[in-house]
Amino acid sequence: MMDDRFDDLLRDSAREYNDPPETPREELWQRIVAAREAEKATPKEVLPFRRLRTIRAGRPLSWAAGIAAVLALGIGLGRMTVKRPASVATSAPVPSATAAPRVSGVAYRVATTEHLSQSEAFLTLFRASVRGKGNEQLASATARQLLATNRLLLDSPAGADARTRLLLQDLELVLAEIAQLSPQPKSRDLQLITEGMEQGGVLSRLRTAVPAGTSATQGAL
Amino acid sequence: MEERELISRVLAGDPSAERALYDAHVDRVFRLAFRMAGDMDRAQDYTQETFIRAFSRLETFRGDAALSTWLGSIAISVTLNGLRKVRRLNEREVGLDDFTPAGHTRPEAEPDLKTRLNQAIDDLPEGYRAVFVMHDVEGYTHEEIGASLGVHPGTSKAQLFRARARLRQALADFAKD
Repeated sequence: MMDDRFDDLLRDSAREYNDPPETPREELWQRIVAAREAEKATPKEVLPFRRLRTIRAGRPLSWAAGIAAVLALGIGLGRMTVKRPASVATSAPVPSATAAPRVSGVAYRVATTEHLSQSEAFLTLFRASVRGKGNEQLASATARQLLATNRLLLDSPAGADARTRLLLQDLELVLAEIAQLSPQPKSRDLQLITEGMEQGGVLSRLRTAVPAGTSATQGAL
Repeated sequence: MEERELISRVLAGDPSAERALYDAHVDRVFRLAFRMAGDMDRAQDYTQETFIRAFSRLETFRGDAALSTWLGSIAISVTLNGLRKVRRLNEREVGLDDFTPAGHTRPEAEPDLKTRLNQAIDDLPEGYRAVFVMHDVEGYTHEEIGASLGVHPGTSKAQLFRARARLRQALADFAKD
């Protein structure tokens, strides 16, 4: 068969590639309106995480270990460099977490961004698995890892930002529910978890908090 | 209503203008997201995210290109970014292998041309797949693709050429028939 004819055949056949169904206009519009309302309802302080997301993680557990290490480094540096108040009671204010060195602030932001990005991808896959035949037992294991990191972040200066704290708290609830799933969960339990995610707008808020990738189009955004 | 007027009304906070803008562009955005994701949930997520970003950044739209092109650039960025995240997690989490990855929703079937072609398109490098889907499947021009992906139209043409060559190679046994 000639190349040109084969190209024509390719084009014709390719039109059926992932053939989209009719656009669920109303459903999508309701979701957009709800997500925008949820966004307006939270404090306006936007997470300054842009450009910090290019960090790449490696093996399955290494990213979690990396986050923990970054947190530990941040906390350690903070403790080493922040002056403690004198033992004699004075009226001097106790240094706040924001007085910690700049490097720890960056470390917390990096760790939080990576964690939110991982959580978003995980919840997206989890939701897809509810419709198909997922492996909830292993999903629970992943949820437990994310939950541990989430709690570390909540107790760190990363949780000082009101919007981040609210998001981490809502995320904690969802992750805890998944972590506690039985090996053979009832479909009703799975449904409740996904409904909770939808109602709280957790996924869309995660996407808003996590910056766009470093694709060539980023400038347009 | 003219596009410029529609944008002004959206920026002024007119909800009916927001809906009109959404109605005018949602099909194109959704189709692209679905073609790339091959999954209803993700296509809806990416479409939703595209419009949320578009509404929040509309004031930065300068009008150098058509609004549809600007929206297309957001849509493809959101979609590729989302697919990358899913792919990274799939690669890391062996335990999540049972989750359905993007573009692999087809049942095992006789390897006819369509099935093999779908698989070959799925296997294309990300950039090639985006250009091939946008041009050969969805009918975007190279100028639109270039603007959406932030590359020169000539680069888009070159990538399409390479994508087709790879598909031809993957389907070589069909080409002989």
